[in-house]
Amino acid sequence: MALIHVNQVTKQFRKGAETITPLKEAELQIERGQFVSLMGASGTGKSTLLNLIAGIDKPTSGRIIVDGTDITRLSRTKLAAWRARNIGYIFQTHNLIPVLTAYENIELPLMLLPMNRSERRRRVEVALTAVDLVDRANHYPRQLSGGQEQRVGIARAIVTDPTVVVADEPTGDLDTETSAQILELLERLNDELDTTLLMVTHDPDAAAIAERRLKLDHGRLIEHAQAAAPAVHAGAS
Amino acid sequence: MFKFAPYLLKTLWRHRTRTLLTVSGSAVALFVFCFVLTVRQGLQRLTQQDDSVLIVFQANKFCPATSHLPQDYDQVISRMPGVRDVVPIQVFTNNCRASLDVVVFYGAPAEKVRRVRDFELIDGSWGEFESHQDAAIVGQALASRRGIQVGERFSVGDVTVAVAGLFTSQNRAEEDYVYCHLDFLQRTRGLDLVGTVTQHEVWLEDSADPEQAAAAIDEKLKSGQIETDTRTKGAFQASSLADLIHLIDLSRYLGWACLFLMAVLLATTTIMTVEDRIGEHAVLQTLGFSTRHVFRLVMSETVLLSVVGGCVGIALAVLALSQSALSVGAEAVTIAFEPSWDMVLTAALTSLVIGLIAGIAPAARAAKADIVTALRFSG
Repeated sequence: MALIHVNQVTKQFRKGAETITPLKEAELQIERGQFVSLMGASGTGKSTLLNLIAGIDKPTSGRIIVDGTDITRLSRTKLAAWRARNIGYIFQTHNLIPVLTAYENIELPLMLLPMNRSERRRRVEVALTAVDLVDRANHYPRQLSGGQEQRVGIARAIVTDPTVVVADEPTGDLDTETSAQILELLERLNDELDTTLLMVTHDPDAAAIAERRLKLDHGRLIEHAQAAAPAVHAGAS
Repeated sequence: MFKFAPYLLKTLWRHRTRTLLTVSGSAVALFVFCFVLTVRQGLQRLTQQDDSVLIVFQANKFCPATSHLPQDYDQVISRMPGVRDVVPIQVFTNNCRASLDVVVFYGAPAEKVRRVRDFELIDGSWGEFESHQDAAIVGQALASRRGIQVGERFSVGDVTVAVAGLFTSQNRAEEDYVYCHLDFLQRTRGLDLVGTVTQHEVWLEDSADPEQAAAAIDEKLKSGQIETDTRTKGAFQASSLADLIHLIDLSRYLGWACLFLMAVLLATTTIMTVEDRIGEHAVLQTLGFSTRHVFRLVMSETVLLSVVGGCVGIALAVLALSQSALSVGAEAVTIAFEPSWDMVLTAALTSLVIGLIAGIAPAARAAKADIVTALRFSG
């Protein structure tokens, strides 16, 4: 069975008198360990789908099952606890907490899990090593470059060893060179840690590194041809 | 929530100007509240004193300067059933009206002062007081306010005494008085009151009923030279301070207003903080913080500001009240502004409650914000 199962999901919201439907009866299955990119023009519902899978938004209808849990049926409190355990979220604008150091930012999601301080320290150090920022652990976000901030954001997303990592335009705020480094890092995490990754992007080059590419068009998901460059993982549909 | 204390403290430090202003505002509000509370507690202590002490005053007189009772009434009263002791007292004050610097001389037999009061001399000696006709012992609060020291001579109007000792008392109001010899005060130039006293202080046996004893004294002395009005000491002091009691009663509105302002200030600051950090809270919720976590974080912030501000205000109030030894008096009765643990505890709890009340609405607003909508603010 697929790790993520999006079943007949529709999302509507009202904007004044108008009802907008960014997603209409969307169907999607993502296997464990898969790296999926999701493209589409602005306003086509890419981020909406990402947010629904991440459990920070609820569909108007349909079901989303992640690792056997129907997250559309969870209460707000249970959904928050589920996110803490299962979701790593990489934001476009990094969204680090400005008053906390890189180390503390990465440690933050671990504080929601039943874990002692030494275990938290071990995990943060592993995550810092994975994003090659050990020497920046005690720096505040304002003391980091955009690329370093995003790497801290990635470390924060993977530190809990989540079921799924979602990335909303992770290179949208970065220059070309830094974008390439971030994409390479995501690819490496997917390869080495077998992390299931769903990345929203409007950059075709960024999308190309994913083993599976999807496009949202008028609220419906369209499967694109297999990417050429990156490695193909077992279990890819 | 203690795990998130560093985040909480760093957030407050990041907005330190706002934090400082809010803490200062809360401190000022609690400072005033403590003053109001202290005055009210001082009044309460005076008017709810032990019922076993009665004050016999001249009927239909309210000012100590106009009450003149025969001194030998003490012989009559002391023979009445239920009476343990009688202390004839001549009162002289520099100001019968309400004032923040009333000096009251109580002239009483020296041996009786020592017997019926709980005074503890912190300087000087009882022997010196008892052996010199113009000697006096001065309450610590008055001495501190006026800079009076043992060995000095101290004058108010025509009364000049030699300071033989400084005393403290469990009843802080007593520390605003000067005790001197009865016949010395009666013979003071301008008073010339030999044979008369302002009042008699009657100490009852434990078994005596104060109301019945007071009525019996008035009945007994009805046929005497001067008609009397006898009340418990608490009731007598309440009557002497009647005008002040109304003012002090009104002061509670000042206290409430301070607390209301403090709540408004804290709520405004917290709402501003929540609006500034709506995106940050959405990020936290995306990471897995529940609505309850966010609610508690915001509440903790407000309560911390409130309690820190409150503690600063309380500390300043305690310092100011204990250092200034302030009191307000009228008709030779004074209310001491004495900080107490009760006041400190009440004010601290009040600041906690104000923080909780002020934080509820902003915390609920932060916790209930839609994550996706709020995330747009973080970009």
